[in-house]
Amino acid sequence: MTVPNPTRLLASAGAALAAPLLALVTAVTVTVLVLVGSGSSPLDVLDTMVTYAQRPRSQALMVNSAVTYYFSAVAVAIGFRMNLFNIGVDGQYRLAALLAAAAAAEISLPPVLHVTVVLLIAMGVGASWAGLAALLKVYRGVSEVISTIMLNFIGTALIAYLLTPERLAVRTVGSNNIGTPTIPASGQVPGISLIPDSRLQVYGLAILAVAVGAGYWFLLSRTRFGFDLRAAGASEDAAKASGVRVSRMIIISMLLSGAVAGLVGMPQLLGAAHTFSLDFPAGLGFTGIAIALLGRNHPVGIAIGALLFGFLDNAATSLELRGVSRDIVLVTQGVIVLSVVVAYELVRRVRTRAEQRDVARRLAATTPAPPAPSTPQEVGA
Amino acid sequence: MPANHAGRGQVTDRGRLWLRRPAWPVRAERGPAAGTSCGRGPGLPGRGAGAGTARSPPTFPSIPRGASRIGTEGTQASAADDPETPVAGPATGDREAAAETAAAAAAETTEAAGTESAAFAVELRDITKTFPGVVANRDVSIRVRRGSVHAVVGENGAGKSTLMKTLYGMHRPDSGTILVDGEDVTLRSPADAIARGIGMVHQHFKLAENLTVLENVVLGAEPRKPGWRRLLLDSRQARTRINEIATRYGLDIRPGAYVRDLGIGERQRVEILKVLYRGARTLILDEPTAVLVPQEVDELFGALRDLVNEGLSIIFISHKLDEVLTVADDITVIRRGTTVGTVRPAEVTARQLAELMVGSELPSPEISEESVTDEVALTVEGLSVDTEDGRRAVTDVGFTVRRGEILGIAGVEGNGQAELIEAVMGIRPAATGRVLLGGTDVTAWPTRRRREAGVAYVPEDRIRSGLLFDSPLWENRMLGHQTRPPNSRGGLLTPSAARSDTRQIVAEYDVRTPSVAVAAGALSGGNQQKLIVGREMRDGPTLLVAAHPTRGVDVGAQAAIWDQLRAARREGLAVLLVSADLDELIGLSDTLRVILRGRLVAEADPRGVTPEDLGSAMSGMSRAPAVPSTPAVDTAPGAVTTPAAAAAATDGAGPGAGDVGDTGDSGDTGAAAEPGEDR
Repeated sequence: MTVPNPTRLLASAGAALAAPLLALVTAVTVTVLVLVGSGSSPLDVLDTMVTYAQRPRSQALMVNSAVTYYFSAVAVAIGFRMNLFNIGVDGQYRLAALLAAAAAAEISLPPVLHVTVVLLIAMGVGASWAGLAALLKVYRGVSEVISTIMLNFIGTALIAYLLTPERLAVRTVGSNNIGTPTIPASGQVPGISLIPDSRLQVYGLAILAVAVGAGYWFLLSRTRFGFDLRAAGASEDAAKASGVRVSRMIIISMLLSGAVAGLVGMPQLLGAAHTFSLDFPAGLGFTGIAIALLGRNHPVGIAIGALLFGFLDNAATSLELRGVSRDIVLVTQGVIVLSVVVAYELVRRVRTRAEQRDVARRLAATTPAPPAPSTPQEVGA
Repeated sequence: MPANHAGRGQVTDRGRLWLRRPAWPVRAERGPAAGTSCGRGPGLPGRGAGAGTARSPPTFPSIPRGASRIGTEGTQASAADDPETPVAGPATGDREAAAETAAAAAAETTEAAGTESAAFAVELRDITKTFPGVVANRDVSIRVRRGSVHAVVGENGAGKSTLMKTLYGMHRPDSGTILVDGEDVTLRSPADAIARGIGMVHQHFKLAENLTVLENVVLGAEPRKPGWRRLLLDSRQARTRINEIATRYGLDIRPGAYVRDLGIGERQRVEILKVLYRGARTLILDEPTAVLVPQEVDELFGALRDLVNEGLSIIFISHKLDEVLTVADDITVIRRGTTVGTVRPAEVTARQLAELMVGSELPSPEISEESVTDEVALTVEGLSVDTEDGRRAVTDVGFTVRRGEILGIAGVEGNGQAELIEAVMGIRPAATGRVLLGGTDVTAWPTRRRREAGVAYVPEDRIRSGLLFDSPLWENRMLGHQTRPPNSRGGLLTPSAARSDTRQIVAEYDVRTPSVAVAAGALSGGNQQKLIVGREMRDGPTLLVAAHPTRGVDVGAQAAIWDQLRAARREGLAVLLVSADLDELIGLSDTLRVILRGRLVAEADPRGVTPEDLGSAMSGMSRAPAVPSTPAVDTAPGAVTTPAAAAAATDGAGPGAGDVGDTGDSGDTGAAAEPGEDR
């Protein structure tokens, strides 16, 4: 029906690239200003970062961080698509990691099965912890923002209670640290030598991250369930009128979000640490929110965002050697997220307006001008 | 029957032509309006005269179809009204009516003197405002005389609010000029408008409950104490000024009282005072009576008179004709975004005003051939529905819709039709009663299952419930039908099939869009609605539940949608139609039911009923206890001439309806008009 014409195509490509470009330019500008303001040379910093990025080891580190971030961001994005803000990914993954670690050390199963069971346990724990918030929302009208934040605190307290030598933990030999017993070899996930020339391997669960991303895309864009979920997220009333049971969608999407959140700690647990100890990374859930925003809830966008954040995080270490504060990187991350959010919103508005104008123009072109309204006549005058 | 058809057909001509008539006999029509000013209770005062017009049955059938009956009818109407004049006379003796007549006369002199635009406090010239997706204003012109109450009437969604927002600087018109005191102005914000002396009293009060009246009034424009105490509120000065204004305009308020302790009427006075405090000379009142009880309405009207006598001008937005006729000096009617005329209340009846408002120039949605079958598609039995807060919105409603039948539900909005429809769709649970689809009890079925069983749904609010604004058209085509081909198969979406199907809908239903990948929000309201109707009809439904299917759409889209409904009905579709557009209801329906306060109170035959009859049944006018009970349906027309009928304007509708019924074939219309006959 529509004839694709070159200028239109060019325009639409331009529109698609406009937002990311705008965001990039803004972020770079602000970062440069911050760097100059804090007395370091932007060129030096750039040089350092480029050099850093070229090293195979740092590339492996970047991918490893990104894998973890990816799970976290997808968990948040599932909520976003349903118009739910799951701030509780943090609590969900930590609790899931603790219980999965304890279970993994207890059970003995053949290699692949062992890992599968542990992953399922982690997903189950994450889903149940998020499910509490869903039930509270559906049956008691408690905002999921409030309840998931509170569940984070409760989760932290619960972990502190459980991670003691009397319960799930054992003392690590030769240190003050305590943690769950080490997971036997059958429950460990070997790394992959993804990056050539790097001694550091990439988490084996990177493959799972790719699978989760593909599944997320397929579920949302290709299935009826995904359509229902997106419809419910876009307009609750419209979804209801179309026959979607919105409260059920809230529960399901929150459970899915929690299940993916349960995977956040797994690469680290099964691929490197093999134990859940006091120094298990925390706060990944919040990074996930930023990355989900950055990636516009799109699986590929999230992947790019996760890699970017992974790179910046690790580059921060090398920047410190050059006398640049680590906090500069945090500032940069914040600026990137903000500029992406603002840029996309701006571009969206401009595009909507352009689209409306386009429709209006066509309308004007295809119809004769509406019949002149009967001129108002004043009877009494 | 032919007579009735002729009657309806002529509405068209009448609506347009009567405007050109130089003037109405002031005396005869004045009566009812004045009558209401004595007590608003019964409402719709013009009915007396209106019914009077319709009352002379001999004139009705005698007029050949298509003939310009207007002039004739007008004269006959006035002639018919003449006998009432003695009755109307005393009513006209009312002080207010006299004052108004005087005012009108004075105004005419002013205009005759040609004092041009300076005589107008506010003048809007050819205002055009377009929004994507909503009805806009098109070439709207209004002139508000200084020191007058100027009513702007029109149906919901006619564009009154858009226009007032333009005048109050909340948005800028695309074209057209605004003149304040004869001076061309540009209003960029409400602050600009206030600076020009234009104030607005919103329908929903914007008051801080936990502050006092005084604090609310001065909020944002606080007088400060002098010198170093600049940061402090000078309550003494504020109080003095407020008392001054209150005394001057006769507004009874207590500055020290907390707003949370005030009644609705008092709160409204505070709002008015707030506007006056900021120096407004022109007040816009947005549906000010919507929230008031009758006594409060009387008080408000008294206050408005005082304001006008002090030289202020008032723009009074409403869709309640009786009130407008009571309080206004001029009435401008807006329909579908444009002004259709400005009239003096002395010169029109409520009936004529209603015609102007509802619109008779539109293509009449008449259905000619009979297509109702015996096969029942939808049965509703003893259905009651509760709202979330436990209020009973629908009580014991029962009806059936057969295949090939359009059942119209008429009612003033908020009388339970939204809840009724949602219960039929399964969106809202039924408290009691059953819903049956072709004999199968579906009361416990969720919405999706009902939809899959062949129920199509055009929701009341397409923006909120009908569309996903940011999604492309083809995804919107899926909405509500996502479980069936061509949208999905075995739980998986089939986007390419959906896209090509959407293209067909776009072509068939004349949806004007560059492509099906455009976001639904980019389309105009009419095109959005055509898309919705198209997708709902697409899957061959057996029952269509449609709420206000042509609300807020342009005339062309309206005609198209009516055509589609008619065509589907011919093919055996059963339609449950809820609408506020009486022309649409009368023109499309095979059967009409009237809903009032959650109950079906009357049934009418669309072939015999007029918008006025339906209107009075909808508003429950004849329920008012003050109204002397009217003679039964088939009582002789002579009944109208009883003094009671003329004095208590309202009940005139009863006999009027009866008469139309007489000329027609049934007494149904009478029943429609008299739901509350003290039964």
